Amino acid sequence: MLTDDHISYIIKDLNYRGIVAEGIQDELVDHICSAVETEMASGVRFIDAYHKILKSFGHTAGLRETQKQTIRSENSKPKDMLKNYFTVALRNLRKHSFYSFINVAGLSIGLAICFIIILFVINEISYDKHFTNADRIYRVKSEIKFGGNHYNMLYAPPVMANTLASEYPEVEAAIRFRERGSYLVKRSVENIKEDHVIWTDKDFFKVFSVPVLAGNPETALAEPNSIAISEAIANKYFPNENALGQTLILDNKENMKITAIYKTLPANTHFHFDILIALEGLEEAKRPVWYSNNFQTYILLRPGADAKQLESKFPDLIVKHVMPQMAELLGNDLTLEKFIASGNKIEYALQPLPDIHLKSSLQGEFEPNFDIAYVYLFVAVALFILIIACINFMNLSTARSANRAKEVGIRKVMGSFRSHLMRQFLTESILLSFISIVLAVITAWLLLPFFNELSARTLTIPFEQPSLYGIIILAALLVGLLAGIYPSFFLSAFKPVSVLKGHVALGMKSGFIRSALVVFQFTISIFLVIGTLAVNRQLNYIQNKKLGFNKDQVIVIDDAYALGTNRIPFKEEIMRSGKMEHATMTGFLPVSGTWRSDNPWWVEGRDPGIQENMVSIQNWRVDYDYINTMGMNMKEGRGFSLDFPSDSSAVIINEAALKAFNFTGEVIGSKIATFGDSGNGEPDRNKQISLTVVGIVENFHFESLKQNVGPLMMELSKRPEGPISFRFQSQNTQEVIQLIESKWKEMAPGQPFTYYFLDDRFGTMYAAETRLGRIFAVFSVLAVLIACLGLFALTSFTAEQRTKEIGIRKVLGASISSIVVLLSKELGKLVLIAFVLAAPLAWFGIDWWLKDYTYKTEIGVGLYLLAGIAALLIAWLTMSFQSFKAASNDPVKSLRSE
Amino acid sequence: MHSPELLKGTLQTILLKVLKDHGKMYGYEITQRVKELSDGRILLTEGALYPSLHKLEAEGLLKTETVMMGKRVRKYYTLTPVGKSLVKERVSEFVDFIRTMGNVLQVELN
Repeated sequence: MLTDDHISYIIKDLNYRGIVAEGIQDELVDHICSAVETEMASGVRFIDAYHKILKSFGHTAGLRETQKQTIRSENSKPKDMLKNYFTVALRNLRKHSFYSFINVAGLSIGLAICFIIILFVINEISYDKHFTNADRIYRVKSEIKFGGNHYNMLYAPPVMANTLASEYPEVEAAIRFRERGSYLVKRSVENIKEDHVIWTDKDFFKVFSVPVLAGNPETALAEPNSIAISEAIANKYFPNENALGQTLILDNKENMKITAIYKTLPANTHFHFDILIALEGLEEAKRPVWYSNNFQTYILLRPGADAKQLESKFPDLIVKHVMPQMAELLGNDLTLEKFIASGNKIEYALQPLPDIHLKSSLQGEFEPNFDIAYVYLFVAVALFILIIACINFMNLSTARSANRAKEVGIRKVMGSFRSHLMRQFLTESILLSFISIVLAVITAWLLLPFFNELSARTLTIPFEQPSLYGIIILAALLVGLLAGIYPSFFLSAFKPVSVLKGHVALGMKSGFIRSALVVFQFTISIFLVIGTLAVNRQLNYIQNKKLGFNKDQVIVIDDAYALGTNRIPFKEEIMRSGKMEHATMTGFLPVSGTWRSDNPWWVEGRDPGIQENMVSIQNWRVDYDYINTMGMNMKEGRGFSLDFPSDSSAVIINEAALKAFNFTGEVIGSKIATFGDSGNGEPDRNKQISLTVVGIVENFHFESLKQNVGPLMMELSKRPEGPISFRFQSQNTQEVIQLIESKWKEMAPGQPFTYYFLDDRFGTMYAAETRLGRIFAVFSVLAVLIACLGLFALTSFTAEQRTKEIGIRKVLGASISSIVVLLSKELGKLVLIAFVLAAPLAWFGIDWWLKDYTYKTEIGVGLYLLAGIAALLIAWLTMSFQSFKAASNDPVKSLRSE
Repeated sequence: MHSPELLKGTLQTILLKVLKDHGKMYGYEITQRVKELSDGRILLTEGALYPSLHKLEAEGLLKTETVMMGKRVRKYYTLTPVGKSLVKERVSEFVDFIRTMGNVLQVELN
């Protein structure tokens, strides 16, 4: 039998060899004792028996391996293990709730932004791809340079579609669209104004795979006076009825038979027509002319046909069809070579359907498209915000490593393996990212209506799709892993001996990477702030620029044609009220989207055969009070006046036209001429019309400020028509609207009353810029917020680390302010460096954005300084809160205890 | 002596069956009992035995009681009701496995 001394020896020896784990130690002692006893029973000495048994275990290494394996097998129950990690992680997060809050807040805001942007980008790139033949549909675009004008447009001649379909085997079908503005639509009595109305060819349903719910798509739009309507329109006018075969009345006069009902076009389509009218009924569509471009033309290629190859045949098409007609019109032996040689250009090209929404911004777009550059910009900004949030996470984790180092040391001493610790840290970061992502989805859901309003979209979170949840879980794991892998490697590698002895004084020391990351965060933030300020300054500039007319206090009554013959009496009735200063009736208004018309004119006496003499000029037909109503200024001469009967052949030109015509001699009294109308819309060379210049109006902007003011002339309209505009004095716009509306109801019963203010319409010309400005503002506020959250946490951490130092300094007589400065100096320096880096970057960015504008604001040094000072101030305020708190602590408290 | 490689998959079955037949046992006793039953051809190594015992305990198939023996502490293992109910199944599973192996290796088993 073994004596107590023997047993004590074995226990001590095993302990020395590292067998210390509770549960296994006693067991191994007992096991070895029993085995030694057995050996000794056969007469072996204690010490020899012991060593024999040890040998059978594989000495120290074998013993330790047994211990390790045993601990591992005990812990290998995954459920318990995970539960343990989870509990500890939760406790840790709760214990450091301040840092956890900063991390979760930053990450969830960053992720929410990312989430919304991803939804947005997915929506933007999905445009038009829902059409079955999307990859085979192309749109014809044209570039025409003629008579001093340069057009990049979507309009093609009326015969283009048919010619392509009949003469080119690659083309399976071709259709045209013709916009003729909005229509008043009624079933019997009450008119409703419909904006999304278009004329189109019968092959519409062949090219665009729009599901037809009722009617035969093959024959639907074949006959004149037939229309196809969307489901939405059918439900609106014929609720709970079959609309097919019924009749709708357009503009009070045209009876249209409904021949098909189609599924309302999804939001991610580049047009949203609700009513399609058969082009068969439009005379203009049947004219065999090549020199007038009014039709948006779409073609469907045969499978396998190459669009580039078809495009390469277009110059021949121009030679064959366009040039003969042009030559006839211009009256000489015009060839394409001569045409081009005199600086003109005519080119047709194809645009793939899926490219339209993001890559096209030409004259004649049905709706404003988006710009792919902004998609990239959004993605970049979203990524930057996420990176800023992730940097917070990494910075705080490594900064706090000094505190965690002790924990690591203790855990290791207590028998933790490195892998256990890594798993522990990763669980913490994954848990954190999981909480963040759930909050992010909720945040995104709350922010989405706001974002939809900003971006003019109707995005929704696809909660009904199971893949969303898969993605959320995957994203949580991924973000948690990315954010946690570095800290977990870093922290779990500590040697227990050195951390417990206090050798690892990390924390603020390993600060270079952290400083770089803070600089990065603030560079992005300051860049966004400067960008926001610049965009808003340009918007302000646009709003306040001297436009050459007065956009304020003008109300425009749309659809005045609904008044019929009551138009003039209506205008006069309202003028009689005395509430209005001036009134004019014309569709030619100085905001885009209103009427336009241009023709070539020349100074009378010059040869119209010479192209240099021809000036392509906006020819606006207005009435007597137009210039006063719009608040335009005369530079020379006079406006139209009833006192001069001869004004029916008078013209007022703008300064740009004055320059373009290049008059010789006195301008007032000079005459300009053009060809008259042969009656069928074509110019007649034998008929000349001439007008006498009576005044020169100062240039006014009638298109976006992205464009130069072009030549423009105004003549008196023979038959005034179009919307009626009133300039009012009253500050009470409600009163003005009520006055006009009551008169309207009296004189146009049953017709919808629609109006807008000129300045509002002017504003919509810059809707994209306004949106960009707002979205940028939101992004930059969030970026600054997240960056400041990080700064806030870092400062509080620094203050915590330096509690003792602060205490000693205070005891030695340092003032609170000097300590605040001390604490914020380092980080303040970083913000300053960030500003120095951000400023030139922002300068390039703003330069790029402003290059589109002919008229742009000056971005001075002031703006940069403003952004820099604002960033510094915000950063400083953030830091000083914590610094001040630390500095005003009683040194007795911080110094007394260890 | 049989190779430890062959033993790996059967260790748990052996432990459960031995404990079922003998009730309360401690680690060293188990090794001795197995050695005896196998005529010295199966020697359980401590490196395999204790991890397995602890694993079975963690899974709730075994329970332990400790008895103080002077300076030594002895830990006895017994089957829990769950463990007991499993033994028969594990043994028949193993017998079935041997039969299959006989077929696979084309040898006659008595």
